[in-house]
Amino acid sequence: MKTGNLTGKLCAAAALALSASAAQATGFATCESGPRESWQPEDQLAAALKEKGWQIRRIKEDGGCYEVYALDEKGQRVEAYFHPRTLAPVPHGAKNHKG
Amino acid sequence: MARKTTRASNTVVKVWDPLVRLAHWSLVASLVAAWFTSKAAHEWLGYAALGIVTLRIVWGGIGPRYARFRQFVLGPAETLAYARAFAARVEPRHLGHNPLGGWMIVALLATVALTCASGWLSITDRFWGVAWVQDTHTFLANALVALAGLHIGGVVYTSLRHRENLARAMVTGCKLPPRPGDVV
Repeated sequence: MKTGNLTGKLCAAAALALSASAAQATGFATCESGPRESWQPEDQLAAALKEKGWQIRRIKEDGGCYEVYALDEKGQRVEAYFHPRTLAPVPHGAKNHKG
Repeated sequence: MARKTTRASNTVVKVWDPLVRLAHWSLVASLVAAWFTSKAAHEWLGYAALGIVTLRIVWGGIGPRYARFRQFVLGPAETLAYARAFAARVEPRHLGHNPLGGWMIVALLATVALTCASGWLSITDRFWGVAWVQDTHTFLANALVALAGLHIGGVVYTSLRHRENLARAMVTGCKLPPRPGDVV
């Protein structure tokens, strides 16, 4: 009986650990971006960056900003943040990877 | 003095060799540190963890008796028999890893290796920003926390059950000598 209780508690703790850390903001950047309806569409940001010669790999939301993973015009890996309303670059703690 | 040393060494037996202990605690340190860091520090801690796991796997093939996978990774029938005895609270004490602990070690080493590999992949040009690589890395890291929780739970439970501090044994390498009915 005691074994069952302990196993149950361990499973609950494990489940909590799994769910607690899922999809949280990284804290590298935050944007006061208001409701999503007021955001410029992701596609527009992607188009503007492609225009610059970037190869877009992933755009997601982090801390209310658009977070972009891309290879820049020189083929370097970049992780960049943009304000969803203005699409202006946002300074952030995430340095670019240089290999 | 010499006599005292002799007597002291008679009350415990050496089970965990220095490499096993060093690998265990340096892996703990690098993974905990990796959890709380990002970028370059996180990457280097990941490489370190992968190196430690590789070393431990090699040692599991060529190391001393209780370091070897062959000693503690048992087949399904024996593992299930131990699990039944465990559930009924009549499981025997194992001087090395018990069968469930043995499989936990396999699970932990495999999960660390895959977590490191997926993290490494995610900073290559080819897989940079690829969602499934990033998400796999996150999932594996979280699964590792869950497994570590179960591992610690198993260590605490078994320590209480057999009245022996197993965490301390992983520091000193020493365990109580086998008693009748123990599996050595």
